Amino acid sequence: MKEVTIESLKDCANRLLFDMSENEYQTLLNEFKTIKEQMKIIAEDKTIDSYSPMVFPFEVSADKLREDIPDSPRSREEMLKNAKNKVAGQIKLPKVVS
Amino acid sequence: MSYLDLTILDLHKALVEKKVTPLELVKEAIDRLKKDDNNAVEYLMEKEAIELATNIGEIEVDNPVWGIPFAIKDNFSTKDVPTCGSSDMLKGYVPVYNATIVEKLLKKKAIPVAKVTLDELAMGGTGATGHLGKTYNPYDPSHKKMMGGSSCGSASVVASGIVPFALGSDTGDSIRKPASYGGLVGFKPSWGRISRYGLFPFTPSLDAAGYFTRSVKDAAMLLSIVAGEDKNDFTSSNKPVENYVDNIDKPIKNISIAVIKEIVESISNETIINQFKETLKIYQNLGAKINYVSMDKHLLQTLFPTYYIMSCSEATSNNANLDGIKFGPYFDGTTYIEAMKNARTKGFSERIKRRFIIGSYSLMKENQNELFLRAAKNRHKIVDEVNKILKTNDVIFLPASPTTAAPFDNKVDQLKDEYLIADNYMVIANFAGLPSITIPCGFENDLPFGFNLTGRAFEESKLLNIAKALEDKLPYYNLSVRSKK
Repeated sequence: MKEVTIESLKDCANRLLFDMSENEYQTLLNEFKTIKEQMKIIAEDKTIDSYSPMVFPFEVSADKLREDIPDSPRSREEMLKNAKNKVAGQIKLPKVVS
Repeated sequence: MSYLDLTILDLHKALVEKKVTPLELVKEAIDRLKKDDNNAVEYLMEKEAIELATNIGEIEVDNPVWGIPFAIKDNFSTKDVPTCGSSDMLKGYVPVYNATIVEKLLKKKAIPVAKVTLDELAMGGTGATGHLGKTYNPYDPSHKKMMGGSSCGSASVVASGIVPFALGSDTGDSIRKPASYGGLVGFKPSWGRISRYGLFPFTPSLDAAGYFTRSVKDAAMLLSIVAGEDKNDFTSSNKPVENYVDNIDKPIKNISIAVIKEIVESISNETIINQFKETLKIYQNLGAKINYVSMDKHLLQTLFPTYYIMSCSEATSNNANLDGIKFGPYFDGTTYIEAMKNARTKGFSERIKRRFIIGSYSLMKENQNELFLRAAKNRHKIVDEVNKILKTNDVIFLPASPTTAAPFDNKVDQLKDEYLIADNYMVIANFAGLPSITIPCGFENDLPFGFNLTGRAFEESKLLNIAKALEDKLPYYNLSVRSKK
């Protein structure tokens, strides 16, 4: 497992597109210590690898087809209601290519 | 006593007998919300509620939620009503559609009066981490005790007697724990029993929509209204919806109730343990069979870390769309990456960011086997063990919490059994997708506490029946701060 350091946590935050205060990285480092202690109990269980990872509590089947019922989509105005900057019916962003 | 202090079904009778009108109820609920000092409200729906109540039309005798005021946790989307999940990241966001559970209640002419607060984005268990700050427990006027979370606002307004029910969501115990701290009935259904369309996703493999009421029968009645398959939520179940009130008063003779010894043994509060023993006697007197069962203590100690790793991992992925462009307030930047980074840095609290980092770290290729996948395998093991208990028992019955509402400055040792086991065991119902209900069962120093019942998947009818049998023998029907006075 990758070693948990202030630098690796900062790298992770950067990939997640946010920053935190120096104090928070220290808090997080301590939090990781507790998590690692707690996860150690699972690591000590020799039977754990005989279980498959469980993602959903039940089998979820999404293989049925819906009826093809025509519906009115929401209006452009409605969909853009929450956007702060809009131009010509589209959300305005900083330039991608300068 | 005002009519607003009644349970839903009792209030319905008063409405049918024209002793009170929906408009009177709504006005009184709004008035109580304005006077409330527990910091529970995100958005008061005064104008919307009065309009609905004014134009509601003729009484519908067979519709028990007609004209009933209720509150909505602010992580359920509500069309044209601000919904921010108690996060600055979504401040000012106004959804363009209603969550299915909200839509179903509106169609039945129930009247929402407020969007109520929560731990930020439903990630927390104290009711102190939303962007409004702490939500107070109405049983403690000194404002030192927590309501519990994440559905703190919902629990607070029902415990205060402002509304007879409120919607909540439950990912680990976010309905059932605050229900215990607030002397309420807190119900989470089987995974997929109630559509989650329009509920802000936190951990979709665990999330459930549910609610708080002040009687088990109200909880059963509501389930018949809000359960069912939803074409907008492919994880919603297509199992037929029952009338959950029909069997609510059935005798519970020969019902088998499991008590997990190791969980009870990890609780040190004598009042809670003594009252728990008393309720077991009640069940025995009703003809139920009590079975003390065992679960590996080491496995129980892993409940919390398993939950934490899985929930942080799913949360970081599900909230990637909150970037200030697709959702959330726009902060400037010279590039779109910079704009997103500015929004996410300013929008999320530090606590949420820490969770996202833990989640992302757990999902990294080099860490996945030791963190996320190990937790997911352990979830499988836990679920197998829980289902084994439920194979030969109808329900699992335990105290919902090892304590009454804790003070906000409570420091817990996160490596101790009382925290790892008794304070977090209710997550087993989320891991296994099981229906689970907390009901009020006692008081210590004027603070209520509740006990929890968890049943087999999609056996809500039986679970509610067993819960009602106990409620009938205890003096806590329709409990609120007002009724206690």
